[in-house]
Amino acid sequence: MNLMEHLQPHVYIPLKIGGIDISITNAVVAIWIACFLVFLTLTLAGRTGRLVPRGIQNFMETLVQFARQTLVVEILGEEGLAWFPFIATLFFFILYCNLLGLVPVFPGFTPTSNIWVTASLAVVVFICTHAAGIARHGIGRYFKNFIPGGLPKGIGGIIMTGFMLLIEIISHIARPLSLAVRLFANMTAGHLVILVFISMIFMISAFITPVSVVMAVVMMAFEIFVCVLQAFIFAILASIYISLAVHAEH
Amino acid sequence: MDAAGIGQLVPGLAKLGGGLSIGLAALGTGIGMGILVGKAIEGMARQPESAGLLRTTMFIGVAFVEALALYALVVTFLLIF
Repeated sequence: MNLMEHLQPHVYIPLKIGGIDISITNAVVAIWIACFLVFLTLTLAGRTGRLVPRGIQNFMETLVQFARQTLVVEILGEEGLAWFPFIATLFFFILYCNLLGLVPVFPGFTPTSNIWVTASLAVVVFICTHAAGIARHGIGRYFKNFIPGGLPKGIGGIIMTGFMLLIEIISHIARPLSLAVRLFANMTAGHLVILVFISMIFMISAFITPVSVVMAVVMMAFEIFVCVLQAFIFAILASIYISLAVHAEH
Repeated sequence: MDAAGIGQLVPGLAKLGGGLSIGLAALGTGIGMGILVGKAIEGMARQPESAGLLRTTMFIGVAFVEALALYALVVTFLLIF
């Protein structure tokens, strides 16, 4: 029994355009469902617009307020509210994708447990970060900020400049990499642990069922926490990276 | 032992390496997370009014520490499968 099979997307409709594989897999379907659910819940919550919120509006308003206050205003400041739609979209999309993976029925796949999904999100954050920095400082001054001031003159200064530039470039490349791998590995590992506990019934014996079901329920509860936490972490790190680019010292 | 015998050992050694890598990573990460959460609780107990800020910062720190173990987990997956 190969557990890794469950982490591979299953192709529903094979589709190829110009050598690029864009097949409709269950990962794609799961992403569509996540998008639709985000759209549905936020529209339903925002449609009524009661002054005293009730029901779903109450719940979503708390989440949106949290995204607005903790993720954007406290890090980017009031003028960073232009980034609120982007950060909130990231937060809600990743949250729904993560939680969708815990639903055992259709499509039964966590979109964020696929490295390509998380890497695409991280690349979007990477591009937005540098676009924000360039838009704020201008292209010349933004890249000049990569080199710290106060380096010695002469040949030593040139060597140091090259060295600092190398470190800075590596750190900028490591950021999207760690964003992508963190979300991917968290989701893969967490959902795999539940799968391992359940498949212990088939692998060892039927007598182990109570133990493995109780452990799976405990892990499921912990996974709900991890899902929310990872969505929060991804969004807040995107926000922090943008603030670092916009508020570059000097 | 001849070359063929060593070749037979390689998959087993890869699994051993995978197990060791996640075990050692979990060891280091556990120590790091213990220090981090312990210090955060110390700070919260000393200044309960700043608990909210400390909690947010702690979770970001936990994510960074945890990521190291998860890199090892990826390596483990690569080695085992």
